[in-house]
Formats: sequence, structure tokens, C-alpha cells
Amino acid sequence: MSITKKIVIYSLLILSFLIMMFPIFYALMISFMQGGEVLRGNIIPETLTLENYQSAFEKVPLIQYLWNSFYVSSVVMLGQIIVSSLAAFAFVFVSFKGREFIFFLFISTMMIPWEATMVPNFLTIQKLGWLNSYSSLTIPFFALAFGTFLLRQQFKTIPKELYEASQVAGISRFRFFWNVVLPVSKTSLITLGIYSFLTTWNMYLWPLLVTNNESVRTVQIGLKQLQSQEISTEWGVVMAAVVVVILPTLILLFLGQKRLQKGLTQGALK
Amino acid sequence: MKNKFLIILSALLLLVLGACSSSQSNSKGSEEGEGTEGAKTEETAGKQEVVFWHAMSGDLETVLKDIVADFNASQEDIEVTPVFQGTYEEALTKFNTVAGTKDAPTIMQTFEVGTKYMIDSGHVQPVQKFIDEDNYDTSQWESNISNYYTVDGEQYSMPFNSSTPVLIYNKDAFKEAGLDPEKAPMTYSELKDASKKLTKADGGETSQYGFSILNYGWFFEEMLAGQGGHYVDNENGRNGNATKATFNDELGLNVFNLISDMYNEGTFYNVGQNWDDMRAAFQSGKMAMYLDSSAGVKTIVDNAEFEVGVSYLPIPDEADRQGVIIGGASVWMSSGIEEEKQRAAWEFMKYLTTPEVQADWHVKTGYFAINPAAYEQDIVKEEWEKYPQLKVTVDQLSETKPGTATQGALISVFPESRQKVVTAMENLYQGMDPQEALDQAAEETNRALEVANKKQGK
Repeated sequence: MSITKKIVIYSLLILSFLIMMFPIFYALMISFMQGGEVLRGNIIPETLTLENYQSAFEKVPLIQYLWNSFYVSSVVMLGQIIVSSLAAFAFVFVSFKGREFIFFLFISTMMIPWEATMVPNFLTIQKLGWLNSYSSLTIPFFALAFGTFLLRQQFKTIPKELYEASQVAGISRFRFFWNVVLPVSKTSLITLGIYSFLTTWNMYLWPLLVTNNESVRTVQIGLKQLQSQEISTEWGVVMAAVVVVILPTLILLFLGQKRLQKGLTQGALK
Repeated sequence: MKNKFLIILSALLLLVLGACSSSQSNSKGSEEGEGTEGAKTEETAGKQEVVFWHAMSGDLETVLKDIVADFNASQEDIEVTPVFQGTYEEALTKFNTVAGTKDAPTIMQTFEVGTKYMIDSGHVQPVQKFIDEDNYDTSQWESNISNYYTVDGEQYSMPFNSSTPVLIYNKDAFKEAGLDPEKAPMTYSELKDASKKLTKADGGETSQYGFSILNYGWFFEEMLAGQGGHYVDNENGRNGNATKATFNDELGLNVFNLISDMYNEGTFYNVGQNWDDMRAAFQSGKMAMYLDSSAGVKTIVDNAEFEVGVSYLPIPDEADRQGVIIGGASVWMSSGIEEEKQRAAWEFMKYLTTPEVQADWHVKTGYFAINPAAYEQDIVKEEWEKYPQLKVTVDQLSETKPGTATQGALISVFPESRQKVVTAMENLYQGMDPQEALDQAAEETNRALEVANKKQGK
């Protein structure tokens, strides 16, 4: 690579880095500011205090919310991985009548926006008596068409002969799934895991609908709770909470970035 | 290696199972306690539980929670549980889904424009019933507030957090422009003149605009009512179902002409639709006067680096000042629940309207006290000394002339209609003729009204 090309590429990278990072940087800066400073449009706070962080934790039960979000997101992540991988396995290795048709029917549910099914889902949950519990926040999300699709594409790269050979050797399907399919699909599984964790972490409307008390509510509701209507919002406090809330997602992204990238592009190329 | 995997898998399964089983015990608990967790049921055994859904977030929620805690501590029989349910719109949607079931709250807070919607929902119990049974004296309330929530002579909900629009201006900028900082413009022509003097233009760049109104339907409604204009026919929908929008008459046109004229002169700043954007523009000196909610006054004064003045809404030169419509929200009682629960809710509502609680509420939030006796309390007097601006907001409301114009329009499609008015305001900035923009909004409101009335008739 010539030196000029390098310079061009790096300056482009730095530019996009600045554009991408600015909102997060600004949120961090606002989290140190006092009321009037934000409204005057300052970028750098005049003093550095942690007061906003303190009041964010005092105003809403942020720790309880964080734990709830973490618990719900983890359970959804595991549930999605288990359900999607088993479903994808069936679609790839188990041949049965109408498999393709069922698969496409399954995939076509991706076309239905989630909001359209919200009210029927809510009524079901209500009839089951699951309001105000973790199950209403987790179980409806276990089946994910996108996850099944992603894993199916991955599983398809495993030679069919391998499966046939294992059948000849008398190995059960589950052992083949457990010892061969899952280990070679680690990248896709991690991608799916991160994806589902982040989506669940960021959910707002559904948790608001199905929960009525603070013991099971998630952080996104907490963030909304900090913003006022009609009277001025204390943006410093809101941003302090935002910084706390995005930390886990940022850490997860940094840790899994390489695999996430690889996994997502893999699905796209097939 | 294999064993490790198995251990992890079984651990995961246990976790998932755990989630299911714990939730089951949870839901059992909530069946017994009707909406509370198991642990809480024991603690509050023997107490009447009242669930209160509200949309108060941020600092407002803190104050509300304190009031509720005080109430719970003040007596033994009732336990009120406040639950935040998102914005007014979100809370209303949720209420709509659960209304009539056991998950419905006992008390529900709804914004003023949701009044007709709540009445039509058929799931509310007018508080008039309890007022009559108790011989409760409603004349102690500020009539300009309670009037809004009175329909066909019946008090439907208890007014709670109430606000009105005011003109907020930068006194320092007034001095700099050679205007009297104690005399804010009261009429449209005064407003235009002041804005011209306040506008600082440097070539093509304007560093300070004279005036601004948020693109929000509420402000238009208020400017209309200030001159005695009706938003819809049938006396603002108070005298029977409204069938037609009337805000596109000459009174409405006055408001739109004002905006359009000032915008074309370059003295009006378009701040968009966000309250916080508008306040940021004022704080940073981008504009010298604007309209805001009375509930926002205190924080504005606290945050500003300059002196802030508060005044009445301006009216057209020849018009007779009618006053303002109340905004904010009120609390409603659900129907279809046990009488004892309703009675407990009523006790709490009565507590909310006592002068002491209202004084506290007014001082800490900037919302009005619905009980004017609250203004006699010492904490209010002290606060008014510190923030004389607050008194202006109260005066504007008490000077309001009662009538159907200032009582406010009563239509179920209000949120929709407001959106149309916002579009019309934005069209003005694109250079559309004021009358044409207004007519468009009125026509679309008519259509929405027609659909809503048809649904009602069914």
C-alpha cells in the first residue's frame, strides 16, 4: 500500500471515528454539566462533578433496573440461541415433508413488524397472568426468525457427508449437534448472542406495557422516567444515567466486535 | 470438554426454568394482592390498595412520590401505589388496553385533551357521585380550572396538575434595546414593535430574534381563546358533540397572520417542535421573547444568566382579553371496581386538593394550586417573594373570564387535530398563505370529527 493511500484511508477512518464518537462523547460531557450549561450549548463542562450520577441513582432505582435488564437480556439471549440453533438444525439436517415451505413460512414472519402483533401478544400475556413478571419479558422473544435464518446459513456450510457419516457410525442427532455443529458455528452463535442481548437491552414499549412495578422494570423505562414533560428536563442527570446504561452494551460490543463483524457478513454473503 | 458443555447446558436450562417458576409464584401473588407483589401483600394486609397510574417523570415524579408517601403515613386504611406509565399518550394507550379488567388502575392521570376520550371510553366513574355523597364543597377550587373538567354540569375528574401559557422575555435584552423591562408587550402591534427593536441582524445573519412560538397546537388554541375564539362549533363542543372546526375564522387568522408577518419580517424564530430546544434557544440568547408553559417558569428563571420577565399572552389590538385555557392533567377514577376501592381513591383525591398539599405542589413544581387557599400558605408567600414571576402566572389565570372559549374545546380527536395545526404552522414558514394553511387544518379536523362521531353513533 502506498503512503498516500494510507494517509487517505486513515484520515477517512479518523473522520468517521470522530463522527461516530461525538454523540457518546457529548453525552459524557453533558453528564457532568449543571442545568443551565446544557441549555446554553456548552460542549465542555465548567466544573467536573459527579453530582448528576448521584441524583440519577437516587431518583430512580437504577441498580434494580440494571439488574432486571441484565437478567432479562441474558435469558432472552440464551433462549434465542437454544431455540434458533435447534430449529436451524432441523431445517438443515433433518429432512421431512414440506421442510422448505415451512422454512419460508417461518422466514416470512420477519416481514411482520413486531408492533403489529403487540396487542394480541399483550392479551395473551394478560390471560396467562404473566403481567409484572420476568416471563412476560423473556418468553415471547425466544423464537426469532432472524436467528434461525442466520444459523441455518452457517449450518449449511457443514458438509452433509459428515452428518451421514455420523449416522452410519450410530451417533445420535443430538450428539452430532452438540459435538460437531455447535463448536464449528461458534462465530455465528456469538453474533446472534450479542445481537439478541443488545435488542433486548434496548426494548422500551413492551416492558412498559407488561410491567407495573419497579421490581421487574428495565433501564429504558428508567431513562424515560428521568425526562420531564412540560417542565425543563435535567439533561445532566438523564445523560449520567445514559452513560451508565450504555456501558454494558459498549463493553459487549468491544469484546465481541471481531466476531460480530465476521458473523454478520457471513450471513450476508450466502 | 464434553462434560463441561453438559454442565453449562443444564445450568442454562435451570436458569430458564427458574425464570418460569419464579414468575409463576409472582403471578400468583399478584392475583391475591390484585396488582402487587407477594411480599407487599403481607405488609399491606388489611389496607385498601389504590393503584395510581401517572405520567409524571423527572422532578415531578419525585414530588408526587413524596406527596403519596405523606398520605400513606397520615392514615392507616389506605395504601396508594403510584406507578409511572410513560408519557400521557403511552399511559392512555395502556389504560385503554386494560380498562375494565382487574389490571386496570384505580386512579388514572390523563392530560387535558384526553378528557373527551376518557368520557367516551365508558370506563370511568365521574367523581361527581362522591362530591354529592360527601357534600364536598367544590367552590373552594379555582373555577377556571375545575370548569375544564366539568361536562354537562358534572365534575368528571379531579383537576390535578394545571398550567397555562405565559409570555417569557429577557429583561436584559429589553434594556439593551431601549425598551422598558417592566412593560412587556400586551398586544400584537406592541409585540411586533418590540420584536423589531429586539432583533439583531448582521447582514444575512440574525444573532437575536424578537419572538418565537413553539410549533405546538396548544399555543395556537390559547392565542385563539385569548380573543374569545372557539376551536370547534356547538360552543366548543360543550353544548353537544362538536361537528365542525371553527378555528379558521378571522380570530384564528389573526394568530396565523401574526406568525406569518413576523416570520417574513425576520423577527420570528422557528424553534421547531421540541420544548427543550425552545428553552435552549432562549437561554442562549437566540431569541428575546417566547411563549412557554407556566410550569416551566421556575427552572427557566433558575437557569438563566440574565433577568427573566413573565407576562400575559398578547392579544390583537382591538380584542377584549378573555384569558387562558387550563392545560395540564387531571386524575380520573376507574369504573367497574369495588365501591370500597373507589371510596379509598376518593379519600386520596380529596387529600390531593387540600391547601397544604397544593401549596407544596405549586412551590415545588410550578403547577397551579387548584385550591386558591393554598396561595395563602406561608411557603407560597415566601416562594413568590423569591420568584415574583410565579405570581404573574396565577394572576393571569384568576383574571380569566369564564366562558366556553376559555373553558376549552371538548373533542375526542384532539391529539390528531393538534397535529394538523402543527402542520399548518410549519406550512407558514414555507410561505403558505395563512388562510389556506388554516383552512387545510380545519378541513382535516372536520374529517377526523366526522369519523369519531360516526363511531360514537354506532
